Amino acid sequence: MILARILALAKIPIEWIELRTGAIAFSKPMLFHHVPRSAKWWYVFGSATLMFFTIQIVTGVCLGTMYAPSAAQAWESLRYIDEDVPFGWMLRALHGWSSTAMVVMMVIHMLQVFLHGSFKFPRELNWITGVFLLLTVLALAFTGQVMRWDQDAYWGLGIGAAIVDRVPIFGDQMRGLLLGGPIIGGETLNRFFALHVFILPGAAIALVGVHMTLIIKNGISEMPKPGAVVVPSTYRKEFEERMEKTGVPFFPDAVQRDMVFCGTCLIILIILAASFGPFGPGGMPDPTLIDTNPRPDYPFMWIFGAVSLLPPASETAIMLITPAIGVLILIAVPFLSNSGERAPSRRPGMVLVAVFVVMAIVALTYEGVTSPWSPVMDAWSSLATPAQFIKGRTPLQVQGAVVFQSVQCRNCHELGGFGGKRGPALDEISTRLSPDQLVRQIQQGGGNMPAFGKNLNSAQMSALVAFLGTLRPENEPDSKIPGANLPLPTSMSPPDRGVLTR
Amino acid sequence: MMHLRVASVFLCAMLAIVVACERLPGAPKASIPVVVGSPSWTLATFNTNCRGCHSQGAEGAALPLVNPGYWKIANDDQITKVIALGQGVSMPGYLDENGGPFSADEIDALVKGMRSMWGGEPHDGNPVLPGTISPTLVVGDAVAGALVFESACANCHGANGPAGSVTDPMYLRLISDQGLWSAVVYGRSELGSPPWNSPMPNHPNGLTPTEVADVVSWLATKRTQ
Repeated sequence: MILARILALAKIPIEWIELRTGAIAFSKPMLFHHVPRSAKWWYVFGSATLMFFTIQIVTGVCLGTMYAPSAAQAWESLRYIDEDVPFGWMLRALHGWSSTAMVVMMVIHMLQVFLHGSFKFPRELNWITGVFLLLTVLALAFTGQVMRWDQDAYWGLGIGAAIVDRVPIFGDQMRGLLLGGPIIGGETLNRFFALHVFILPGAAIALVGVHMTLIIKNGISEMPKPGAVVVPSTYRKEFEERMEKTGVPFFPDAVQRDMVFCGTCLIILIILAASFGPFGPGGMPDPTLIDTNPRPDYPFMWIFGAVSLLPPASETAIMLITPAIGVLILIAVPFLSNSGERAPSRRPGMVLVAVFVVMAIVALTYEGVTSPWSPVMDAWSSLATPAQFIKGRTPLQVQGAVVFQSVQCRNCHELGGFGGKRGPALDEISTRLSPDQLVRQIQQGGGNMPAFGKNLNSAQMSALVAFLGTLRPENEPDSKIPGANLPLPTSMSPPDRGVLTR
Repeated sequence: MMHLRVASVFLCAMLAIVVACERLPGAPKASIPVVVGSPSWTLATFNTNCRGCHSQGAEGAALPLVNPGYWKIANDDQITKVIALGQGVSMPGYLDENGGPFSADEIDALVKGMRSMWGGEPHDGNPVLPGTISPTLVVGDAVAGALVFESACANCHGANGPAGSVTDPMYLRLISDQGLWSAVVYGRSELGSPPWNSPMPNHPNGLTPTEVADVVSWLATKRTQ
């Protein structure tokens, strides 16, 4: 009885508002519009992306109340948020991990739409607004990385500016526009802050609005069935008839799955944030610190890998043209084919394209994370020569090991599994190169190795080659490669013979 | 009922996170300013800058520094000097004025820190034992040194000795007199090279300080530039 009274009372203000705004009438079709019965777990990724975006806005606004967008104070304010504000670090961790999660979820959503051919008539604009959303979100991720104002941010900006600078004719002006001047400075941070906090989120919200409106307008596509082709002239009528007959209301039928999936994502996000904490800030953004190993955030790691592996001559062309072509192709997807079969089994070529793109991104991301092309700058002074390479060696060979460390061979070459990966590991080098070949390689360099000829005196060279000559697996017979470890000429002096025969 | 249970489990988990917030693995460690001279600083500095060559046991190519026997004999002032200015062909100077990464105070702190970790009481005053790092090594008698080498060292370290020649001019060009001195005195037991005071052929009680000086002087005469 009382409950009914309360409900009746509550109705009065609701009706008052409804009469003046029509809010309920407006939102009813959104909640109860019919979605295909076949729309099952494949259809949850878009909602999850939207959830991560909402988390970004909420945590971002909270961070905005504490972050100081000034070059002098940004880094310190992050330290303050991390260490002095209760839950501050958790807020940053959620913002950072949710950003990565949003990009990942968005790509999965896009792949699903691509594989199911859901971008075909009449949903071409759904796809295109999605492409622009992807670009906006990537821009948000990049500008967000700059907000940390640490070494990663500094060098990330440096590389971004260098890429822009390569644009013919307008390069200088464009770089000036990006950085707010010729160099990275306080102006740059303010510019990126405005982008990250006002312009890009505004654009993203507007795009999400358009994207959602189009979803309501065009409906959600059904699970693709082989043989069920899209014919633009009849599709809409038939789709609406099917929805009338077999569709289920979005609320509560489809929304349940969305909620379960989003809830799971949320829990995983919290676990990630709690276990791995916030991203950075790394070291202070000081361009004079060259002893740094800056990395971009995960969404850009594959670009870092790709750019590092490019042949230098092709850099300008590939860096400037490929992204433009990529975006154009993405936008063109629904125009290249907006009718016909949707089922992946009838579009094997498109499946191959998707698999190739995913594999390329995963492989390049792995390369970017491990970045084997970077030398380990402190390997020479921090990684001791392992005992197995010292034991049973002559004094000259041990001195060779000292030379090996002190002239920093280790920074690029592994020994015993530790060291740089830029050059080959040297654990078994004497099975591949004879002493003469070693001398030539060290002296003249080649194959990406600098020439050390002028930096080593003859004693250092003999000791080094004597040491390298001992590097082979135990019990390994002499090299099978012609020319390696040739028998010694008898004319060699005894100490040298000691070197070569170990 | 089911929903209530799920909700309460979720609430409990949230509560646990709230309570444990500052102890979660992701919580950033408070940025403790690095105290120059603290044990953790000393160890980190050693590991980054010295360990590549001066490690412990059989590891590392040059004289191991994680070695109480070394610290018992060596003198802090002289070690400081070697770190600051470098020595021989391979050891660079680590003082900022010489292009190194450390200020003089940091090098002092590093030596003190290493001594307190591995060496015990500081050793001051004049070298009483051979091997004390000294800028002006005691000059021995090279002629006598030749005899010492022949009787004590040549068995293993002669021109065709099984442990490898130490009279090889290439070897001698790479190692300073101090390096030779240290090699004779400390040896590298893990690699089978005994220290100066252990029994050697014809010298059951090891070498005397004079013999060490003599043999180093003789080896130095074999060096060609």
